[in-house]
Amino acid sequence: MAISTAKPNRSGLRPATIALPVLLFVALSFLSPAFLSVQNLSNINGQIAALLIVSLGQLVVALIGGIDLSVGATLSLTTTIIVSVSPDLAVVAALLAGVAVGLVNGIGVTIAGVHPLIMTMASMTFLQGLALLIHPVPGGTVPDYLGDLASTSAAGVPAAFFWCVGAVMIASFLLSTTRFGLRLFAIGANQASAARNGIAVKWYSIGCYVICSVTATVAGIFISARVSSGDATVGAPFALDSVTAISMGGVQLAGGTGSVTGVVLGTIALGLLTNGMNLVGISPFLRTAATGMLLLLAISMQRRNVIGV
Amino acid sequence: MITPMAHCSPGSALVAFRSVNKSFGSTQALVDLSLEGLASSVHAITGENGAGKSTLMNLLAGVHQPDSGEIRVRGQPVRIESPAQAQRAGISTIFQELTLLPNLTVAENLFLGREPHRAGIINRSLMRRRAEEALDLVKCRVDVNTYCQTLSVAAQQLIEIAKGLMADADVFILDEPTAALNGPEVDTLGELIHSLRTAGKLVFYISHRLEEIFRFSDTVSVLKDGRLVGTSAASELTQDELISLMVGRPLGQLYPPRNPSRNQLRCALEISDLSPSDAGRAVSFTIGRGEILGFAGLQGQGQREIIRAVAGVGPHVGGRITKRGPDDTVRTVGRSIVAVARSGIGFIPEDRKSEGLYLSLSIEHNVALGMLRELSVWRRARVRKAGIDELLARMRVRSNDQAQPVSSLSGGNQQKVMLGRWLASGVDVLLVEEPTRGVDVGAKSEIYTLLRGFANSGGAVLIASSELTEILGLCDRILVVRAGEITAELDGVAASEREIMRYALAGTMAEARKEL
Amino acid sequence: MSEMTIHSLPRAFHPLNITRSFLSLPFAYAGTAALLAFACVTRPALVSPVLLLLIVRQAAPLAITVLGQSLCMRVLSLDLSVGGVILAVSYILTSGILKYPEPVLLIICILFGVAVGTANAFLITRIRASSVIVTLATALILSGVVFSLSQLRAPGEAPAILRYVGQTRIGIVPIPPLVWLALFVPVALFLRMSVFGRYVDAIGANPRAALMSGIPYVRVVTIAHILSSLLAVFSGFVLIGFVGAGSLDIGRDLPLSSLVAVILGGVTFGSGKGGSLGPAVAAFMLTFSFNLLTSLGIGEPGRLMLQGAIIALAATRRNPD
Repeated sequence: MAISTAKPNRSGLRPATIALPVLLFVALSFLSPAFLSVQNLSNINGQIAALLIVSLGQLVVALIGGIDLSVGATLSLTTTIIVSVSPDLAVVAALLAGVAVGLVNGIGVTIAGVHPLIMTMASMTFLQGLALLIHPVPGGTVPDYLGDLASTSAAGVPAAFFWCVGAVMIASFLLSTTRFGLRLFAIGANQASAARNGIAVKWYSIGCYVICSVTATVAGIFISARVSSGDATVGAPFALDSVTAISMGGVQLAGGTGSVTGVVLGTIALGLLTNGMNLVGISPFLRTAATGMLLLLAISMQRRNVIGV
Repeated sequence: MITPMAHCSPGSALVAFRSVNKSFGSTQALVDLSLEGLASSVHAITGENGAGKSTLMNLLAGVHQPDSGEIRVRGQPVRIESPAQAQRAGISTIFQELTLLPNLTVAENLFLGREPHRAGIINRSLMRRRAEEALDLVKCRVDVNTYCQTLSVAAQQLIEIAKGLMADADVFILDEPTAALNGPEVDTLGELIHSLRTAGKLVFYISHRLEEIFRFSDTVSVLKDGRLVGTSAASELTQDELISLMVGRPLGQLYPPRNPSRNQLRCALEISDLSPSDAGRAVSFTIGRGEILGFAGLQGQGQREIIRAVAGVGPHVGGRITKRGPDDTVRTVGRSIVAVARSGIGFIPEDRKSEGLYLSLSIEHNVALGMLRELSVWRRARVRKAGIDELLARMRVRSNDQAQPVSSLSGGNQQKVMLGRWLASGVDVLLVEEPTRGVDVGAKSEIYTLLRGFANSGGAVLIASSELTEILGLCDRILVVRAGEITAELDGVAASEREIMRYALAGTMAEARKEL
Repeated sequence: MSEMTIHSLPRAFHPLNITRSFLSLPFAYAGTAALLAFACVTRPALVSPVLLLLIVRQAAPLAITVLGQSLCMRVLSLDLSVGGVILAVSYILTSGILKYPEPVLLIICILFGVAVGTANAFLITRIRASSVIVTLATALILSGVVFSLSQLRAPGEAPAILRYVGQTRIGIVPIPPLVWLALFVPVALFLRMSVFGRYVDAIGANPRAALMSGIPYVRVVTIAHILSSLLAVFSGFVLIGFVGAGSLDIGRDLPLSSLVAVILGGVTFGSGKGGSLGPAVAAFMLTFSFNLLTSLGIGEPGRLMLQGAIIALAATRRNPD
């Protein structure tokens, strides 16, 4: 998609969106000698792979004007399911759970009319509890076939990279070439107009929440393979981080504007910042605080008319 | 070439309304209305505010359904339950609020919901080609890959018409299509309408612009108060006759007497060079102390926007508002809603349910909020129950109990409570949108009395109303608003419905004077 | 002899009306009664007066937080930063990082609460960012800073004043619930009697009308958030006193628990039907239920699942706007 700043389009990309990761990359190359090493770059790749996958799911929901805070808990739940269920059924069980979560979120928001923030916060809490119930202490064994999927490299390129590329390709395909993708942009811009054109808005909305939860599940599968264990709290930061990443990528939380490119750029920017803070020696807790500030900054740039929730 | 219609011979009724009735709550919008639209015809539907034009077309567009009576399309009785169904029945509506999605391209908008595809993947080249063909039909020279948010209103309208053509519609409804168009754009639209007629289509054209009605349409139907006054060939009607058909209602209710010294009043509020939007025109006017000033004109001509700009509730650009107190102290009024209220100006919105009243709170609470206006948030909320009782009695609000929620009151009483909140608040200027919307006759005259009483005790009132008789009966001075500009200033007692309509319909004051 | 029939009873005592007024009470009342009954059967030890008083003491910090949260909800906002505020307060008071006498530290904490509330309010009312995201981000920032500072200097013992407040009794009544009462009464009275309280009702009933009629909307929401953060600070005082030392875990469950308690107590977005007492009863009910769940072997996981379910169910019962 053309990143034209002169002609308006629905990608939400602005010069700053592209400049930020580039500037960060350049700055870090100067600031830290360790930055450009293969090891470090591969680390960054691994760290942001899961966030990228989750953020792409969040993008789908944001395009129709919604938001999903339960992605982190879904991710955690997935890792606990993977280590608790028999290896043959692990992936299937996890995916089914993801679909179920998405359906509950989607139905709650669309049919029961609950505000997306409240609904997904409620399911986030519930799923966090469920994950702790299934697997209170981190550990367990991950099925062998999964372990390989996340750690092997082909031609020197780590597996994480392929997961990223795969996710980006699927998302781009969905949003730019299919009818489904186009209609999401329409729904996000004006639900009533979309409905008048014969689009079944409710079903599309539910579908988006399902896609988001399933995406979080895939990220969970990736993480459980990568760390070779199940951990009921591993996913917690992903909820707010994914919102930060997409906001930094130019996605409007009100709906109708956003792009895969933007999400990739935003995730890379966030990943570089985290990595940079790491290399410079800032404690992980301060990193969390910095991410919080970044989130405030990112959402301050969104336009909204409502005071409150 | 627009495909001519094969299945309907010119002169046969394509659309027929038979004894259609429609009411909204206690308001009868359409009464026993029967009307026919023929193929190969441009049929203008016109009338004053509240005449029922939009309601009639909304029945055809699938937005509402008739309470009784029948609608026939191509001779078959139909029940159109939704806009999508209307589209399938071959009826294409171009509403005043444009419905193109801003973040989609022209091609995507044209095909939304019917995108050409292979297994879910959009066939973009085919879509582009078909879109270009559609735009050719309407002679629109816009690149189909442009995003609609950058397009002018004129272009968007043409695209909406193209969309209708693509759907092979036989009936087109255009609601005030030229409201936002300039001269050449109106000409283009006119040519398009002409080619639609030549191709055998039926075009319903809702408008107030007399020049256009006579220029584009071959048939004119005039509605008044929900009834059909008459249908005639445009060629057999003069402008004068047309206006006569539209006006002429008896004043009906009793209005309190006007202010005898209405021509020598001190100024209470002065508005200079205020514009409700970036592109809009700036207006300047004054409201006198002891005066009820009325904005007259057809609906949607900018009255609402001007009032809201003064109240700080709607968008406003530039301009200055000065308030003169009873003791002649002059203050500039700040532009935020809070500042406006603090200056002693109260705004009463049109839609009391969603913008004016706290339906779940008690009557006492609603009125008391007015009394607290000048207190700081930290102060004790001292409210004299007896004071509220007196006010309610004076306004003749019939209720047993102050503690009842306002939602349990009738429309007229609700309106009075909303008014009462401001009367109790000590403001001396009132800006009122539609003072008696949805109010029964008895409550109407009570509200008029209250407004007159407020003015007589030194207040200033500005009213915007779509009921012409109300303006003529109540106001001391009338400003006619058209296209966001004030086109005439008339004395409330001397003005007539016909005179107001001329200024409301004419293009400029000069043209209007020529007519008179 | 006159016969007393149903029809001759005074209206207030008519069975249908009694049932109706009972059912219209917030869920917290019925829920508490049900829980106590359940506990009598399954874990009678919990229902002893001694233990009940201890649970009341344990519930006090939640009840204080709930006071602020219900205010925010009534103006259609939310404050999920209370956990971060309490964590920060605990750190300021117990780590010795600021070397001032205890009373000064308490005042610093109060000022800190006002600052956080103001920052939240600014972002919510002027920048118009979502309350949920803003307050969650604030909590993230506060906890991140506290955690990283703890690496240099761990939290330590609670100040003597607070330990006194948290752990002593007057007669048989522990002090924490009295602190709650001392905060509850003025706040409840203020809401009922002041112009502010009326404005809160108005905003909750119809925010658009409130905006259009010149009510100082921004000011009201700002005050609500400042009060919420201030009350979180006081809640932190009581909590730290009762625990006896600062910790990195302190108050972590309070934001969500306060949201749940407010909902159970009859306050939903925009309406204050439960008055001010409902949420307090709900705070007790929630604390009691957590103790019950723990004694039945279902610890934190069960608590989280319960809270999530309650929030979702309560939010669906409201009519969507």
